[in-house]
Amino acid sequence: MRNLIEAHNRVKDFDWDPSYVTKPVWYPTKYKIPAKTKDPFRHLVRDYLSMEEEKDNRQYGSMEDALARGQASSQAQPRWMEIMKAVLPILNFGEYAAMKCTGQLIDTIANAELRQGYLAQMLDEVRHTNQEAYLMRYFAKHAADSEGFAQGFKLRGTNMFNRAGRAAFETFFVGDPIEGALNLQVVAETAYTNPIFVALTEIAASNGDQVTPSVFLSIQSDESRHMANGYSTLAAVISNPDNLPALQIDFDRAFWRQHAFIDPFVATVWDYFQTNRTTSYSEKWLEWIDADWIGSYIERLAPFGLKVPRDYETARERVPWLGHTAAMVAFGAWPLQFWRFDPLTAQDMDWFELKYPGWHGHYGKFWEEYGRRCDPRGGELALSLFPSLPPLCRVCQMPCVFPRIDISTCRVREFEGRKHAFCTSACELIFNQEPHRYLGYKTFYELFDGYDLADFIVENGLLRADGKTLIAQPWLNQEHMWTIDDIRAVRYEIRDPLRTH
Amino acid sequence: MSTVASPPRDFTYIKPRKRRLSEYEAVTCYTQPDPNVFDRQGWYLLTPEGRAAWRPESTRLQHPHWYDFRDPSGTWQRSYVKLQAEQERAIERTVEDAALAGVLRDIDPVWLREIIGIHYRVWSFFEYGLFRAFSRAQREALADTLGNALCFEAVDRIRHAQSTVLYLLELESNVEGFKDDGAKEHWMTAPAYQPLRLLVESLMATSDWAELAFAVNLIIDPITTEIGVSRLVRLHGPHHNDPITPAIILTTERDRRRNLAWTEELVRMTAAPGAAHAEENRVVMLNWIARWTPMANAAARGFAPLFDRFAPGARSFGDELAAASITQSALIDSLGLMRVGGK
Repeated sequence: MRNLIEAHNRVKDFDWDPSYVTKPVWYPTKYKIPAKTKDPFRHLVRDYLSMEEEKDNRQYGSMEDALARGQASSQAQPRWMEIMKAVLPILNFGEYAAMKCTGQLIDTIANAELRQGYLAQMLDEVRHTNQEAYLMRYFAKHAADSEGFAQGFKLRGTNMFNRAGRAAFETFFVGDPIEGALNLQVVAETAYTNPIFVALTEIAASNGDQVTPSVFLSIQSDESRHMANGYSTLAAVISNPDNLPALQIDFDRAFWRQHAFIDPFVATVWDYFQTNRTTSYSEKWLEWIDADWIGSYIERLAPFGLKVPRDYETARERVPWLGHTAAMVAFGAWPLQFWRFDPLTAQDMDWFELKYPGWHGHYGKFWEEYGRRCDPRGGELALSLFPSLPPLCRVCQMPCVFPRIDISTCRVREFEGRKHAFCTSACELIFNQEPHRYLGYKTFYELFDGYDLADFIVENGLLRADGKTLIAQPWLNQEHMWTIDDIRAVRYEIRDPLRTH
Repeated sequence: MSTVASPPRDFTYIKPRKRRLSEYEAVTCYTQPDPNVFDRQGWYLLTPEGRAAWRPESTRLQHPHWYDFRDPSGTWQRSYVKLQAEQERAIERTVEDAALAGVLRDIDPVWLREIIGIHYRVWSFFEYGLFRAFSRAQREALADTLGNALCFEAVDRIRHAQSTVLYLLELESNVEGFKDDGAKEHWMTAPAYQPLRLLVESLMATSDWAELAFAVNLIIDPITTEIGVSRLVRLHGPHHNDPITPAIILTTERDRRRNLAWTEELVRMTAAPGAAHAEENRVVMLNWIARWTPMANAAARGFAPLFDRFAPGARSFGDELAAASITQSALIDSLGLMRVGGK
């Protein structure tokens, strides 16, 4: 019988202070971390491998066998399946970025207990990256409409929501490693993986998708360990009062960066891609984020000096509207996406009014007009409902339309001779803290301003195998699908809204 | 009416190495974004110091498209975990059976104390240092196929290190008087191991991820690990009534073969005749050979007294080192690195 306590003690005694060569500081951190803390979970590599092998066998085994034979994916609700084309490439980068985050943490954090947790997470993240790519390919093979699944990892590069996802998840590993851990482990994993990998599977299952729950729930069984990593990292940081001023600033920023993308995006996925309707995102948000993450976790850290994120109340007020507004942009700009959309039915609209009182007054008109613009024979794009494509936030890359278009908090300011849009004062503040961190890229409009929409679609590979039908469609009708000729006939020019601002 | 002819039923954006897209390629390729591939806008965030997510200068090697790299073993997480879980189970069973059969008690006590308790245990610190170095290297690699190979090697190394600790715990439980103590002190102060510690501290301070893989898998493992582990411990264990440690070492040699193969592939991709920047890359690699080979040899020479004591009658230490060096040189030679133009 193995002496486990002794085994754990000894595997944590590998570190030594190098005396021949001093390792350069590759990932500078402003935090001081104690050399010894509590082990977030006691796993030896041997135990870890055996546990993960069993989980892999269960998940891949079920996908390869019963689910494939039952043609589970082709029988799921098409409305739901379409949004998985967008979800998986975004999530996949989150996992990949997390793997890089743990590499930085292993390198930087001189604490054997924490390193032990990070090493298992590093391999977990490769697991999740592989699982989600495997699921994407599985859907390419088995879903009723494979277009979009087959190209999603390529098309995410120029897609407005996938780009915003990448912006949110680059925070995991571009910067101070502890700031990365706050973004990844404390906010994204602890606050948001429960709604995404647990609660969202209820929506998937009730809409006939039995495959996604197999993968997501298997992923979530690892996430609970990552939450423990986050807690242990945070506890280590908090244990030194010198860390607290920087911690609060980084934590505030981490919360906002994750909220600014994840909440509007997941709310759209949740509320607008269910056919067999269950709960609303807003309900789940109150349960998982407000009560669970804030109420049972973050608020309890107050005695140790960590406060609820500065803009949390603003986020809470925004949440009931974010998904509807993001959905309006996503549906309205459907030709720029790589999945199909299903217009809301009267039943859907009743559900929205029930779950979000006042919804119809703000959004009902858009959906009526949208429904009239789905048929290519009408020759009118839903984009024509808007004066232009929206400005995109310099920091979070999301459209500057939130919380609702009529009360948008969009602001535009000049910096170093260029105009920059911000979705909120929170993103503007983040920019003001360190502007140079957000100026290293070309904006969407710098690349595509002045493009005819048809040219954008062709250049970015948004056509189906026949070379003329769009991958994206505003409805699920397969008789009347938009072609590149239909788009060209509309003559829609992509214009930088800041040109006229 | 629009019709959709033959919709794609597999990923369309990956060029398969063989005729059909492999599972490994499908779940690995292009999971890392790149502004020169599909992500035209660039990086949305820079560090406070102004660096981006990935930097071409993270290695001195050059290649126009790092995503062309394929690990010849086609390892992805599932196959990796399956293999290593099997290897760990094999070790656990072997040690358990050996304990029950009394094999552990029969091991030569001097060998057990000095080679297994000190020398082999010291090796776990070396492996741990490599785990640290490879964990960081995976962060920086310029394509997913490379980052994952480096990540798996990092986990190989921590597996080896932890496996040694667990084995010695079993020995403590089964062999009266055996204690796993003193190895760390040897690691830190014993003259025999200081070149080895210098070597791994130098590797841990190496920023170039390709240099790390090149140095460890093409120079250090074939010389230093070959001498210090394979030739000394694996080959001579049975002469000291120790058939168990060699069985454990065989699992690490399986990992070594995989890591050697992918590193050879990296060399071929960057330095084969006709490859872009082949000559510049070859010169970079020659510098790496010049830098790391003397250090690998010096670390191996630290083990010479152990050969004299524990490998009597067999080949001398000098012959062993010469043989390892010849094999390693042949390896380098087979990759064409010693010839101008790689031919």
